[in-house]
Amino acid sequence: MQTLERSDESASEETVSTLRRNVLRRDRTPREYLTLGVGVLVVLGLLVWSFFESKIRTTSVTVVVAVVASGGIWVGANLLFDQVRDNYQRFNAIAYAIIGAVVGVLLHGNLITVGSGEGFLPWVLGPLAGAASFGAIGLALALNDDPQRRLAIGLGGSAAIGLVISLLIRDVYYPGLDAVAIVAYTVVLAAIGGGLSYLRKRPPVGGVLLGAALGWLIGAWGGADLGEGSIATSLVATLPVALLIGTRLGISKNLDYAERLALDTRSRATIFVGPALLFIFGLLVIPAIRTAYLSLLDRDSQEWVGLENYTSVFTDRDSLDLENWTWMFTSVPFLIGIGVLVIALIVGIQMRRTTGYAVEIGNPTMAPLIVGALLVSFGVFTALRGTIINNMWWVVVVTFGSTAMGLAIAVFADQRRGERVAKSIVFMPMAISLVGASIIWRFVYAARDISTEQTGVLNALWVGLGKLSTGSGLPTLIITAVLILILLGLFMMLAYNLTRYGVGRAVVPGVLILLVGWFFIRFIGAFGTVGVGGFKVAPDGEISAQTVNFVQEGPYNNFWLMVIMIWIQTGFAMVILSAAMKAVPTEFIEAAKIDGATDSQIFWRVTLPQIATTIGVVVTTTIVGVMKVYDIVKVMTNGQFGTQVLANNMFQEAFSFTNIGKGAALAMLIFLSVLPIMYSNIRRMQREG
Amino acid sequence: MSKSRWRKLLALLMVFGLIAAACGDDDDEATDASEEAGDDGEGDGDGDGESAAASGDFGGAVVTITGPERTDGDIASINDALNQHFEPLNLTVEYTGDADWEANINTQVEGGNPPDISFFPQPGKLADFARAGSVVELTDGVNAAIDENWAEGYQLDGNVDGVQFGVPAKTDLKSIVWYQPGRFEADGYAVPETLDEFKALVDEMAAAGGAKPLCVGIESGQATGWPFTDWIEDLMLRLHGPEVYDQWISNELPFDSPEVQEAMQTVVDLWTDENVFASGGTISATSFFDNAQPLVDGQCYMHRQANFFAGFFPEGTTFADDSDPDTVSVFYFPDVSGDRPVLTAGTLAAAFNEDPATMAVLEYIATSDYAENRQRILTEFLGGGLSGYLSAAQGQDPSVYQPLEQEFLSILADAEISRFDGSDLMPADVGAGTFWSEGTSLVNGDTDVATAAQRIQESWPS
Amino acid sequence: MTLSSPVITDSKPEAAPGGDDGGGGAVDRVYGFLRSIPTGFLWLIVVVWSIPTLGLFVNSIRDRDAQRATGWWKVEPGDFTLDNYDQIFAARAGLGRSLLNSAAIAIPATIIPIAIAAFAAYGFAWIDFRGRKGLFIATVSLLAIPLQVALIPALQMFNNGAHFTLPLIDKTITLIPDFDLAGTTTAVWLTHTGFAMPFAIFLLHNYISSLPRDIFEAARIDGADHFTIFWRLVLPLSIPVLAAFAIFQFLWTWNDYLIANTMIGANASEQPTTIVIANLAGDFGRNENILPAGAFVQAFIPLIVFFALQRYFVRGILAGSVKG
Repeated sequence: MQTLERSDESASEETVSTLRRNVLRRDRTPREYLTLGVGVLVVLGLLVWSFFESKIRTTSVTVVVAVVASGGIWVGANLLFDQVRDNYQRFNAIAYAIIGAVVGVLLHGNLITVGSGEGFLPWVLGPLAGAASFGAIGLALALNDDPQRRLAIGLGGSAAIGLVISLLIRDVYYPGLDAVAIVAYTVVLAAIGGGLSYLRKRPPVGGVLLGAALGWLIGAWGGADLGEGSIATSLVATLPVALLIGTRLGISKNLDYAERLALDTRSRATIFVGPALLFIFGLLVIPAIRTAYLSLLDRDSQEWVGLENYTSVFTDRDSLDLENWTWMFTSVPFLIGIGVLVIALIVGIQMRRTTGYAVEIGNPTMAPLIVGALLVSFGVFTALRGTIINNMWWVVVVTFGSTAMGLAIAVFADQRRGERVAKSIVFMPMAISLVGASIIWRFVYAARDISTEQTGVLNALWVGLGKLSTGSGLPTLIITAVLILILLGLFMMLAYNLTRYGVGRAVVPGVLILLVGWFFIRFIGAFGTVGVGGFKVAPDGEISAQTVNFVQEGPYNNFWLMVIMIWIQTGFAMVILSAAMKAVPTEFIEAAKIDGATDSQIFWRVTLPQIATTIGVVVTTTIVGVMKVYDIVKVMTNGQFGTQVLANNMFQEAFSFTNIGKGAALAMLIFLSVLPIMYSNIRRMQREG
Repeated sequence: MSKSRWRKLLALLMVFGLIAAACGDDDDEATDASEEAGDDGEGDGDGDGESAAASGDFGGAVVTITGPERTDGDIASINDALNQHFEPLNLTVEYTGDADWEANINTQVEGGNPPDISFFPQPGKLADFARAGSVVELTDGVNAAIDENWAEGYQLDGNVDGVQFGVPAKTDLKSIVWYQPGRFEADGYAVPETLDEFKALVDEMAAAGGAKPLCVGIESGQATGWPFTDWIEDLMLRLHGPEVYDQWISNELPFDSPEVQEAMQTVVDLWTDENVFASGGTISATSFFDNAQPLVDGQCYMHRQANFFAGFFPEGTTFADDSDPDTVSVFYFPDVSGDRPVLTAGTLAAAFNEDPATMAVLEYIATSDYAENRQRILTEFLGGGLSGYLSAAQGQDPSVYQPLEQEFLSILADAEISRFDGSDLMPADVGAGTFWSEGTSLVNGDTDVATAAQRIQESWPS
Repeated sequence: MTLSSPVITDSKPEAAPGGDDGGGGAVDRVYGFLRSIPTGFLWLIVVVWSIPTLGLFVNSIRDRDAQRATGWWKVEPGDFTLDNYDQIFAARAGLGRSLLNSAAIAIPATIIPIAIAAFAAYGFAWIDFRGRKGLFIATVSLLAIPLQVALIPALQMFNNGAHFTLPLIDKTITLIPDFDLAGTTTAVWLTHTGFAMPFAIFLLHNYISSLPRDIFEAARIDGADHFTIFWRLVLPLSIPVLAAFAIFQFLWTWNDYLIANTMIGANASEQPTTIVIANLAGDFGRNENILPAGAFVQAFIPLIVFFALQRYFVRGILAGSVKG
């Protein structure tokens, strides 16, 4: 985004105010009023409906209360810390008052103190008293800078509060004291507190005092049998806590301006990042740690087995089968891929001579390079087998396929007629649940006995193509003619590009000619071939139809499962990339246009670099999503026919076979294998960003 | 939401706010407050009111049941059969059919949120849960009801180490072959009485060159391969008898022993291209339920499949109706030595708590009255025809069953030996894992019998 | 990346329309045709992409025997039947209620994570605190955790709360009280909120961190604090990415089966549509014929959401205003 700074150096207050005007103070269009009206109607309708439907009522009440309460706390915290910089006294008083109110709520709300009870007035009494007393102390501390006065305020205030609380506690809560627990907790927590302060390079006294207070509190109240003590034990349990905290407050100093600024920033960091971390910690970090631990135990989580679960994954023939690695050198995609790579090499040398770069984003070397690499990877992945290899294959194909497709659609559809329709249709698979998607593709891939009609589109096409290419009727002739026309067109384009632009522009039509030509030769059955499509030739030369069992015929059944994922995931890539493209400033593109750049140059040189980090996001997310994919495999094959992937294997082991150790180990493997990719991608994005 | 829950919510929000403030503030004493807040979560009893009901009133208790059966008819018949009985007793039963029961029940138990009762299609899993202490022992009342209504063979499926945990709730009969008597008659074939006759019949039909003798399909989505395991089990029972069968499912007899390999080889020999019509092109690509249409279309003569297969025939098919020449019927999958063993499956209900309401529901499920009601409601729901449900409980009114279903029951009653589906008794790694997948590979011709058997044996958890 | 230099480095002659060398009229026409290939390619993709869905739709209005007998493209007008839809809407499991449950899950599970993640993304991008980068990488790395492993611990937490037993005095402290959430839609959306965090932060951070620094500096000079900047500047400027995330999160939560299934358990009255429809299929695929119809019922609302939010992907919310 340095570009933007450079391009508009006068960005300043003016920018911001324009921004506000444009973004926030826009005039509402009639359509927006309409939307607003519909929204209001929907809300009203829901209200009326919720009157009759208890489900909506309870849900919306829960959600609204949760949102309003946490939102209130969040905004309140922000407003509170807004005061730090310039209104320190106010901030201090409010902060202390809030703490006091919470203490009041806890004591009073839980009916621990005298005077609490049901009803509004008893309920608010405790919190109010707490807020008032604590707030007063906070204000007094903020107003006084003299250490002795501060100590006096801290000690005096806390003693008074401690005394009042301990006297107010109801007799059923009087604690019976356990001296050992008090001493042990106080000492241990004081030591911890001191240690923490030391680590934070602060005087350890403060930490010791707070730790001791906490320890005393837990030891005296937590260890006690409530109701067995007397008013004296209540005093013993409460007063020292108050005094220790009071001392801690008393010996502290008021913050100077720099410290207040630091506090402001630090508190904002917590307020902004904290809620997310809370969720992440509870729902992801703790389970992850638990999984790591379980992966070292046996299947019933009873005995320690070390890394056995991990080694069993790698020694299992189903996970990694390198036996037939030599097959890759004879596989068709591998050989074609090598051929295409040779073309890339030749083109690269040529480009080097003209532009100085063999490979550059958007130059003609790129297409054959990528296609060749993909084909070679196919050769490798079909020769090496096993769960782990399958996962790599998935990552390569789905990540590349869906990102490239998504990008292509986002680009081609951008600001063209029918953009919305096209994008909506491509997006549609995202809206269909995985159950739905698997049903769809079962229909698409379905194979039926050749004596009956095909119900799957692909087999119908494949068998139909076979019939066409081995037949000799009018349709066969028509297709032959069309193929000839396409080939002629491609040759013209090749010649045109060769004469006008040189080798670079001729690569795409050249490769297309190779592909279409190959298909044409197969189709008409020239040079000893028989035809193309779903048929087989019996030894006696009789030709009959043959279907492809897409889901079961390995190893390419893996690919057909990946197609489903690409079908779904392209919508994702398209939406994200499209949103990013829309955010590329128009003046960049206009500037390039004025300079005479072509559409493709604008794309490769302007748009693509602008959305590079977003592509990083899409690629990273897709890799992660692919590593975790299990639904498709589970529904289509459940890992049979050599289509097992790590995530489905994990699901089977952990949930179906209740082999918890191995399931956890597989989960950790998924996590660990994605980690380096994630790390490098994020770092690169951060550097670029 | 109860009042106490509101209070807890408020307290929790306070604590969140406090923590946020505490982390921002330099040092303060917020942390101890948060721990005090926790205290109020304790001691709040669960006021659900599932009080004991000796008087025959359960005080509005709700008993939740899950199970793998989940068509609309199943849900309706289980719910209605139970609720009709328990409504006067002020008890509500909520049955949920679960598409992913095998995995979910594990999660629910581990997460501490199991239903009150679950229907187990796999006695092996029930035994695991019983040994882990997840399901509870049945009370004497339930045991008495089982004794009264079920023959000992069925009781044993729910018996783990001498203690009864499961209540038989449904019986599937697997040792039957579907065919069209009219077509057999027209083409001059007779129902085989022994396994050898069966094989001879298959050869004869194949040699005749018309329709194929057998329809076979083992595709079943994520459970692809299970019809193969059924064949092996049936053949194990027939070729080697129940004792060897029992040793086999407990792996005393290893999977790669000659006996098992013999059964597997028999299946492989039977399932040749000449003998089998597979509507999906290959056996492993053909869904087992896609075989109903070819059977009535005359593309094959026979299809060995359990009683619930009735539900897959096209509309308008009649069953064991002598007036219809195209009617579909079954014959007993013939045996070798005349001891008429049958392979069964079914569900067993087991409880996750000892609540009186739960036990009362189990007690009722054990009765023939429940079976009868469920069958009646299901048949009504489906508007006649075969329900797909079957129960071997004794003392049911036979009139709730259709003629063909009564024949199923008589095959069950005639059987001297009955054994539960072996793959449901094996550990899931095998019974729902390699037995399926290696079986599929074998059928596809990707491996041979010896290799497949050896791999299955290797996967048996030690 | 710098803008000005490389744009037009390789100075190839441009094929100006109407060409400077008059001879190649036919060739130019062919070339013009070939240049429209991208549009053709786009619509080809669109057609290919829609074929499976189209097939699904056609099959959803055919009966079971027809679905099995012939391909959907051989449908005849007389075949149409709404039986499958009837069967779904008449289901005992209660489709209407399940749609409500789905909404009760998906709406909070979309809105709440957006808010929380936007806070965090802003915090990571524009608030300077110690350990920011490390924390950000750690957070986003959690994206790689297969969420299956987190299901059981989460369920246990919703079931029992979280407790910590103090040593020595053997007292249990309740960190999170038991709200009795297991089996409720609340548990489901809370879980979704947690699981959505890494991706949401990742996506939003990528966008928010690339907003021009000048805006923030100018606002700081104006005296705006983080809260104001976030509220008045960042949120309005992030609308496209917020809309994008909202779409995905809504779809994922609406179409989620696994989490809902785990958290809801045996509680039939709280089940969302995914579970109800999956269960409708019957064991051994007995009712597979109604699945196409089910998939359409399921996809209906997500599609509406997509169409509604698509209009927020507008070019130049940011660019136009900077220029102005």
